[in-house]
Parts: sequence; structure tokens; C-alpha cells
Amino acid sequence: MRSTTAACWLIALALGACSAPSTPPRESAGPPIAAAQQLLAPSVRRLSVAELSAAASELVQGDVDLASALPPDARQNDFSRSLTQSVDATTLKQLDDAARAIAAKLPLPSEVDANALVTTLASRAFRRAPTDAEVADLRALFDAGASGRAPRDGAELVVRALFGSPELLYETALDSALSSDELASHLAWLVSGLPPDAELRRAASAGELQSGPARRQQALRLLHDSRARFLYRRFIEEWLGLNRLRALAKSSDIAADFPSLRETMLSDTEAAIDDAFITTSGSLQALFASGYAAPNRDGLLQQESFLATFAHEDSSAPVLRGKAVLERLLCRKLVEPSELGIDLVLPQPDPHTTTRERFAQHAERTDCNGCHEQLDGVGFTFENFDAIGGFRSEEAGKPIDSSGHITLDGVTLTLGNSVDLSRALAASQELEVCAARQLVRFASGTQSSAVEDDFVAATRRLPDTDRTTLIGLLLTYVEGDWFAKRSLQ
Amino acid sequence: MTARAARAAHKLNRRHLLTALGAGGALAYLGPGARPLHAQTTAARYFVGVYMPHGMAREYWVPRAGFDISYENSSLAPFDDANTFGKSYADQLLVVEGLDVKAGIDGGTTGHDASRALFTGSSQHGKNASIDQFLALEHGLGRETPLASLVLGVGNSAPDLGQCISYAKGGAAVPKLIDPSRTFAQAFAQLVVGDDPAALERVARERRLGKSLLDYWNADLKRLSARAPESERDKLEQHAAALRELEQRLDPQLNGCSPPSAPDASTYPELLAYGGGEPYFDTITNLQIDLLAQALGCGVTHVATLFLADLSRTHLDPQLPDDVHIDVAHRYTSGGRAGGGDPASWLPLARQNRYAHGKVARLLQRLDENGILDQTVLIALSDMGDPNRHSSRQIPALLAGGWGGHLKGGRHLDLGAAGTPHNRVLVAAQRAFDVDSDTFGEDEDLAVTTGALDLA
Repeated sequence: MRSTTAACWLIALALGACSAPSTPPRESAGPPIAAAQQLLAPSVRRLSVAELSAAASELVQGDVDLASALPPDARQNDFSRSLTQSVDATTLKQLDDAARAIAAKLPLPSEVDANALVTTLASRAFRRAPTDAEVADLRALFDAGASGRAPRDGAELVVRALFGSPELLYETALDSALSSDELASHLAWLVSGLPPDAELRRAASAGELQSGPARRQQALRLLHDSRARFLYRRFIEEWLGLNRLRALAKSSDIAADFPSLRETMLSDTEAAIDDAFITTSGSLQALFASGYAAPNRDGLLQQESFLATFAHEDSSAPVLRGKAVLERLLCRKLVEPSELGIDLVLPQPDPHTTTRERFAQHAERTDCNGCHEQLDGVGFTFENFDAIGGFRSEEAGKPIDSSGHITLDGVTLTLGNSVDLSRALAASQELEVCAARQLVRFASGTQSSAVEDDFVAATRRLPDTDRTTLIGLLLTYVEGDWFAKRSLQ
Repeated sequence: MTARAARAAHKLNRRHLLTALGAGGALAYLGPGARPLHAQTTAARYFVGVYMPHGMAREYWVPRAGFDISYENSSLAPFDDANTFGKSYADQLLVVEGLDVKAGIDGGTTGHDASRALFTGSSQHGKNASIDQFLALEHGLGRETPLASLVLGVGNSAPDLGQCISYAKGGAAVPKLIDPSRTFAQAFAQLVVGDDPAALERVARERRLGKSLLDYWNADLKRLSARAPESERDKLEQHAAALRELEQRLDPQLNGCSPPSAPDASTYPELLAYGGGEPYFDTITNLQIDLLAQALGCGVTHVATLFLADLSRTHLDPQLPDDVHIDVAHRYTSGGRAGGGDPASWLPLARQNRYAHGKVARLLQRLDENGILDQTVLIALSDMGDPNRHSSRQIPALLAGGWGGHLKGGRHLDLGAAGTPHNRVLVAAQRAFDVDSDTFGEDEDLAVTTGALDLA
């Protein structure tokens, strides 16, 4: 066992929810990982709204949440860490409006040393020490803002300047090797969801972050911060698409107050994610087949949040659930009906038939059954859960048939229900491979098949504990060249 | 002076525009009904794109002989409803039938995702700007207005696939403003100041400091752009355009119209769909439409889009079921041009369509009141024809306004069952703005993106 014990120990400390293992974490990084053969292109990534909130909090040393102040994130594969994020006029205006508000939170001493103030603020904003020229520019803005007024007016203009600055708004990777400052910034945003702290910046100044094992150690250290849990919740929720739940409605016939109910669903899922990270460093087994308390439920796929997200307003949705499993957990590419020239027709409701019976027509149409053989074989296993994830044993007066099938790692398996499915997934190589791909998408903010293939190939040679845990995959990624280098081709 | 112009002049006495500051107090007042400065040209001057949800009930959408759109249950009746909208706009409406979202279909962007293709003429993989952003930023329609464009929506601000129609060059969705208060703030708030010296001094200071900020940000962006990879150029150019737009807002050159008052936010305490906003969607939609038209009329911008809400769970129409999506759109059963289907399922969808058409009619009325309808290119589209089938074929298309003389209204143009690429509407629209190009959008098949619909 290599780093997983360390990660578990650190997360346990950070979350304070379980006692730490008696064995302290290893300091050594273990055997070297394979050199990357495929690299990402240089990039300029605009920070997500959550990251901008963290940057603003750091800037004024207060608690700032910009979720309602800025336009929502533009996502890729549902991930809010996305190269598709941009700065348009509306966003820029709202950023500036937000900056005015957050500037009011900035604590100022009675006697303001303007040079010291702008240096401190720039250092927080840029995630590095500012140059003399940058300090001079900001000092000029401070003077302009404070002219004929109070120092706070000068500070407000400096905060506005910094918060609207491309230097703050973007995370860059511009050359063939990330600079030490860029490495510190990337590491902090990816591992903790926060700007780099003092230790990370020290390590950057000392040039230590050019070393993969050193980055791994810094990443482990960052997991001490209890705020890091939000990042892992976000990764899982966005991977599974649970971020969509807050924009969904359910029929009032089955949920009187769904807005409240969905918050409870998400809280339950966050608790399950926290537990899996605390006890197992986010092992795929624990996340998807952990044997969670309730009968008929065995992991995240039987959580109400997942089941309600992939359901219709008043009924279950075997196609949506099957598609979610195949695309999100197994990274399979499904052909859209329109690409085959097929118009989609939802089965009409019929109080005398079950959902399964109504959807079974897919298997009968030759132009549909190629895909639906896969989709329905998985989707039907969830049929004992209704539109809000409630358990049901019958529908339309008939017993539920939740049997299904799936082909995993080349073997076709017969399933009694979705618990069987979860256990089969958790034991499969296909889930491990897809988890690695999804981690690369989350980390890189984009989808690059070549880099994913290369990273997956490298992870196949890792010990089980690194290959089958999300923390292990994360540490492998930050240690490798996929994280630290770029292809200029 | 007309009564309307008199009211506007009275309002102006109470307010100063920043224009007055910029022009040394010389305010060119044309009045809301006056012709724009370049009315002598035949090029259109204003563009408005509207997204309508849930396709159409064809049976109550197709005009009857003699362009009758007022027959019983016609969903197009609002365009011929002088009692509600002041006059009939039938003569400024071209109903186009037979368009397919072929670029979306070819690129796997159909059904609920097809709104991505409506104004871009491209699938989700396309990199070109939607026509509104193209006209505003690449063709230059928004180069000299305080706002390059105004992108509005109702109920959902997420820039997700299926929730947007405006896209920047490079493919990024342009965020929608769904809060009328923010629409007002973006379009008007900083353009209006009080009469007192303190307010004027405050504005002068804002402008002075704003220029300093923009200089700072521009220098920073220039340094980054110099080192950025080619693949990120569109993104950084969008940022640069945003900075230019904010600079234009510091020295707004308006046509002297009367800006509206700030909307009363207490009338829409919630905004989000499935977050409590549904009861207020009608109020929000009307405010967004009124602000949009006034923004164009005032010269705040020449380009706008509006993404209408899908109305599920709004209870705005007591004759419609609770869930318009499932219980109306997905119950619609039609044989299309071949006839047949379930007549009982047509009327609910027609009622939903009529609601959306009523909002487009209100928009025409407001543009008319602002004196700019003749120069406006208005295109209202839905992402589906038959919504139950999620079909992006045979979509409803309403082309309205004068198009600067490029559109002959009062007609039903049936392009047939074979399906004509809807890109041809977009090519025709750019021609109305004197854009010298026969293509718009991206598709491997050039026949999809090439050619204009003859609208005259």
C-alpha cells in the first residue's frame, strides 16, 4: 500500500469524522509513475464561480459567496472546471459590481500604508509576489480612488482592479512546462479548490514543485484543509450529474415540496461521499457498492439524488438511468437517435401497464434495439425506484421486474436489480478506467481522448490502492507530466 | 408634438442622460416615435432573436386561405389582435413552414439541445458566433452602442446546452439576464443620473476611475494575449470585446430617448424555474420584453435575444395542465402534413403556442411604439416541430418586423415536407444588414449553410 493510507489519514484528520489510523502516513512517494506520452495543449482557464468566490474570500480575508452575483458556470461534461468558461461583457460588469461589494468587507487599519496594502492585496490576488511595476500601477489606482476621499475609496478601486484582472480570473498554462507559480496555482485549485497557501508559494519560490514527488507531497498536505471536502463532493456530484437536480421539478402528486426534498437528497449524498473519502480515500468500491445502511441500496446509484436526477417528473426513466450509467460510469459513447435519423417517441402513460412494459417497445423495433438492448438492460434494474428514488415493489398493480443485464469487461452478466449492477460495476476494470478518464476531464477542464488514454494506460500499472481510489488517481495525476507539462505541437 | 412625444419630453426634463455630459449638454432629442438617424438606408438596423419552447401544434399554427390567422383556436391569433396589442401586425409577419434544423441534426444537436443550433446554424461542436453576436461584434452593429447586445431569458440563467441561443465566436454561450432589475441595471441604470451637482460629480468620478480601471485591465489582458496559444484566442478576444463594451458605456452615445424607470422588484420576488419563480414568469417576461424594446429604441444596443420560459408548473393558464412539458408537449399526437393523430391533444399545445406568440406580438408592439419596427429583423424560432417526437424537423419560424424593407409580410411561406435548412433564414437575415456573404453556420455539407431564403 502506498499513498492511500496517507490520504485516508489526512482526510480523516481534516474532516474530524473518524479516528485516524494508528499507522502514520508514509513520507515516501513510492515507485515512479510512467512518463506521460500525451500532453494537453497550453490553456487559459477562467476560474469557476466557486473558485472566484474562494479568490474573493482570500482577497478580502472574509467569507464571500458569489453564486448569486455571477452568471452560472459554463460546464464541460457537467464539470464546472472548464475551458469553456469565458469573460463576456455581462460577466465582467457583474464581476465589477461584486468587487464593489466585497471591497466593503476588506478590513483596514486606522492608518493605511498604501504601498503595503496594495502589495498584500496583489499577492493574494495573483497567487504570487507582485513585481515592483505591478505595485506601482496599483498604487496609482489607490491614489486615484482615494483622491479627495478616504483610504477605503482607494482600497475599493484596487480591489475592483484586482478582481477584474485577467491575472486573477484565469489559470494559465502557457509554455511547455508550467512555471513554478503556475504549478502552485494549478495544484491549489485542483486539490483544495482554494488559492495557493503560503507553504505552496514557498515551495514554488524554492522551485520544489517541478518535482513530481514533491507535488504529490504538497497535494497530500493540502488534503489537511477541511475545505477540500467541497471539491471532492463537487467532483462526484458533477461526475454523476447531480448538479442538475436543483434545476429539476417533480410532479406535486409524488412530492409535495420537492425543493426541500432535493436538498435533503443532496445532503445525504454529500455525507456518503465524505464517508467514502474519510474511510477509503474515495475507493470506487466504497462509493458504488459500500453496503450503505438501507435495504435495496448499496451505493451512490441507489441514492435518491441519483435516482431523482435521472427520472421524469412523475415516473421512473429507465432510458435516462441506463444512459447515465453507461456514459458517466463506463464512458461509453452512445449514438443519439437523431444521428440514426430516428425520431424519439416517449411511450404514452397507461395506468394498466408498468413502465417496463411501455418502454419494452424499444427492444421490438429493429432500428432502436441496437442501443436499447444496452440501455434498457441497465435502466430496467432501477425500476424498483420511482421518480424521486422511493422504493416500490409494484406498479400498476403488478410486481416490479427489475432484472437486467450488462456486459462488463467483455463478460455479459445477468442482474436481479441495480444492487447487483452496482456491485458488478464496482468490481469492474471498466469503472476504474472511466473514473480515471473523468478525473482527467475534471482536472484539465476539457476532454482529450489522447491524454485520457495515456493516463489510463499509466494507471493500469499502479498498485490497486492507487488505481481504485479517487485520491490515488488524483495523486498520480498531479505527480505526472500530464499535470506539469504541455504540448506545444 | 404628439402626445407620446410630449410625455417623453416631460420625462427628459426630469432626467439627464450621460450623453448630455459627453456632448457638453447638447442633447439630440428625436423622440420615441422618430426615425433613427440612418433611416434613409435600406439596411436593417436592429436584430431580435426569440426562442419559443415546445414546438408547435401544426393543426392550429398554419395560416388558412387569405392569410387567415384569426380562425378559432389559431395560435397565431395574437398577431392579428388589435384589441390587445394596439393594432394588427399580420402585415409584418411572415410565417415560414418547412424548415429543418439540419445543422443540428447533422451534428447530433437535436430535440431539447437544438436551441444551440437555432441562431448559430451550427451543432454543439460549432465555433462560429450566433447571428446576433456576429452582427453585434463581427459585423459591427454593436460597435458604437453602450451595449453590444442584450441577451435575456426567463426562469433559467444556466448557460447549458438547450438553454441558450446566443453564442460568442469560439462557441461559448453568452450568459442570459433573467432578472429585470439586472436588465435595467445593465441597459439603463448607469446611463441615468439625477439633476443635482453631487450626482453629476459622482458620474464624472465614475467615468474617470472607470477609464483608469479599463486601462489597467486592458494592459493586463494584452500581456496575457501576447503569450496565449492560438487555441485560446477567441476566448481572449471575447474578453477584449467585453472591455471595449464597458468602455463604450462610459461615454454612451444615445439617441435622446426617454429611458424607463427601474422595474419594481417586489412584483417578482423569485426568478428561477423550479425555485419558486413560476408565478412571476408572466410579469418577468413582460418586463424583459419592454426593457428590450426600450433598449433598442434608445440606442442602448441594436441587438437582443430573448429565451422564453417553458411554462411548466407556472399555472399561468388555468386551462393548461400542471406540467406543460410532459402533459402537453409529450401528449401531442399528430400525423403532421399527412393528417391524423389525436385532435384532443392539439388544442393544449396550441394554447401554449398562443401564449408564446402573444409575447412575440407584445414585442412587436413595443418595438413599434419605439419607432424601430420597420428597421428590425425579428426571428422567432422553436427547437422542435413535433415536440412529442423531439423532432427538429419542420420547426415553426416566425419572421417579423420590416427587415429594412427586405421582408414582405402578411404571408405564409411553405417550403414543403422535404425540409429546407433553417440556415437560409440566417443568411437572409445577414443580407438584410448588408453582410456580403452567402453562408452562415457550420456543417460538413455546404448545401446546409449556403443560400438565402427569398423573403421579398
